[in-house]
Amino acid sequence: MNEQIIWIVLKRLRTPFFVIIITFSISILGLVLIPGATDQGKPYQMTFFDAFYFVSYMASTIGFGEAPYTFTYPQRMWVSFAIYFTVIGWFYGIGAIVSLIQDEGLRRALNLNAFKKQVENLHEPFYIILGYNSITKTIINKINGVDYRAVVLDKSSQKIEELILENFYPHVPASVGDATNQQMLKMSGIHQKNCKGVISLFENDMVNANIATVCMLLNKKIDIIIKATLPEQVAHFQKMGLQHVQNPFDIISKRIYFGITSPHIWLLEMWMYGHILKLKGRDKFPNGKYIIYGSGRMGQAIADGLKKAGVEYIIKDFTSKKYIEEKESTIFGDAKDVQKLIDLGIKESECIIAATKNDILNLSILNSAKQLNPNIFTMARENSLDDLNIFKAAKINKIYVVEQILADATYNFISRPLVDIFIQEARKQDEEWAEVIVNILNNITGMNPKSFETELNEENAYALSLEFNAGGDITLSNLRRSRENKNEMLQIVFLLLKRGDEVYLMPNSQMQLQPNDKLLIVADEDTYEDFEYIINNIYELNYVLDKEDTNNLLGFWGKHGKIKA
Amino acid sequence: MNMYKIISGLFFTLAMTLNFGFFYGDPTQLIEHSAYELFAAIIVNLIATVLKLGDRTQLGAVLLATSLVADIQLIASATVWAFAEYVAKNIGLEATTAIVSLSGGALLANSVSVILFIGDTIKSKR
Repeated sequence: MNEQIIWIVLKRLRTPFFVIIITFSISILGLVLIPGATDQGKPYQMTFFDAFYFVSYMASTIGFGEAPYTFTYPQRMWVSFAIYFTVIGWFYGIGAIVSLIQDEGLRRALNLNAFKKQVENLHEPFYIILGYNSITKTIINKINGVDYRAVVLDKSSQKIEELILENFYPHVPASVGDATNQQMLKMSGIHQKNCKGVISLFENDMVNANIATVCMLLNKKIDIIIKATLPEQVAHFQKMGLQHVQNPFDIISKRIYFGITSPHIWLLEMWMYGHILKLKGRDKFPNGKYIIYGSGRMGQAIADGLKKAGVEYIIKDFTSKKYIEEKESTIFGDAKDVQKLIDLGIKESECIIAATKNDILNLSILNSAKQLNPNIFTMARENSLDDLNIFKAAKINKIYVVEQILADATYNFISRPLVDIFIQEARKQDEEWAEVIVNILNNITGMNPKSFETELNEENAYALSLEFNAGGDITLSNLRRSRENKNEMLQIVFLLLKRGDEVYLMPNSQMQLQPNDKLLIVADEDTYEDFEYIINNIYELNYVLDKEDTNNLLGFWGKHGKIKA
Repeated sequence: MNMYKIISGLFFTLAMTLNFGFFYGDPTQLIEHSAYELFAAIIVNLIATVLKLGDRTQLGAVLLATSLVADIQLIASATVWAFAEYVAKNIGLEATTAIVSLSGGALLANSVSVILFIGDTIKSKR
């Protein structure tokens, strides 16, 4: 227990203690002074012990009866007064103590104390997540216990209760608290060595800016992952030296740009987010005229993307708030609205994007557009993860779920940094290059391979690091041999290699590996497991390296032990 | 003037004086030590302890500690008395001296407490 709690308890207990002491002492004194009689009628005066004993069980309403002898009438008169006197005092005292246990202030102090302890006991690297909502929930689900731990702060106790009901494993310490409060941030362990960073993805850019400033001042070493939706804000954050600024609208805009100009780069990016590694007919972005409905942050960002791609577009000045106020409805599509769509040239357009803040409005805009032009390509912005099913049922070609994009991008940055780098690098290449890569991947690893990241250090690649220490030369092609038959190749592609700050996209297979190289590997799960065996198990590694005699570390066993799986 | 200071000063001092009143006298003669006075000393000491609860200063903590010592000593003294009278059925010389000397220890703790209290008063600038 921390100091503060003891003092809260002691201060509150003062009056109840006082009442109990006074009522008890008066009753005891009275009983001692009043003369009684023994069973034989001889005069008897109660001692302090007799009186203390009697009053103790009387006041607590246990009531063992009159002791040590049956009372005389004067004693009974005193006792009938003392019963009411002490029982009231006792109940008041007990009541006060019970209410103290239920006291909101004390509970908060106790919770905060427990939270602080839990954070201090975290020994794995962790992220502080500010605000609990569907975005951060997705992130916690992905990272918690796998790569990092999480600590959550939220203003509302309701949200924290929701989190507790989620029953995350391993446990996620969470506390009610203001994210801009320095004290709370300190309690969440911002100064701890294993604190990797702070994630702040609040809707309001101002709040994010506030938090970023406070966090920067508190600890310069941590990553601050922050959401910013306006270009000025992004520029401001970058000036502050923040490493990672999340702008979901920028991500959407870039995706549309690449989707139109180089579909294979788009495909590579989307594959990293779970798309299959094959362009389907319906994935193709049209090249004709685009109509953007909604001129907010997202509308503007998309317009920028389209402009860069050199596509014709019209952006309609339209805000959901104004529309709802005017028409008192979220259903788009009366005669006037239809006329507007026709005026915008819906019949000649190839794509319509509904980018307002209101999900229902987005749906009804696309519905009206489809009625006018059944072949039109539809894209919708969806703001919250909750009603994803309606959108899926509406047969919209592309749905941009802002929250999901934010969660995925943040997860990639935290847990899959090489994927993040790969996407950045791929964007710098041209369509031809991307098509070649997609073909290579399809040929070697199939239509739906997975990507894995690993660092060649002692922890992840034990055998390999022993080999490094012994001065062995290992190239990427050495590691591509199957452990069943070393003359066969593993179905595995090394997509990217990172050495220090240098990044090699599609590294040459003759490249020498060095300790602590980071690799982005594409394979299916079984093949990757084989690969992990090879880099961790000395015998397997020696087999694929074609080494008959082994290094001294293995001693006797190494000479005989060759395992074929 | 502060009402809280007056009351707490009164109880701290009263705890000490009652304690002294019980302690004073021939330690082998129980007749010279009144049970009523011991009772009063215990009650006043308990009240003094409660008054010291919840003071977050360093001095408050020390005062509380000395007061708790006095409580323990006095209650031990009363317990020895009750034990000797009802369980051993005989208050011998050993029990008598134990009762008195236990209260003597409490007196020492109470004196420390009062000295600290006076010291704090002298130090204060008002």
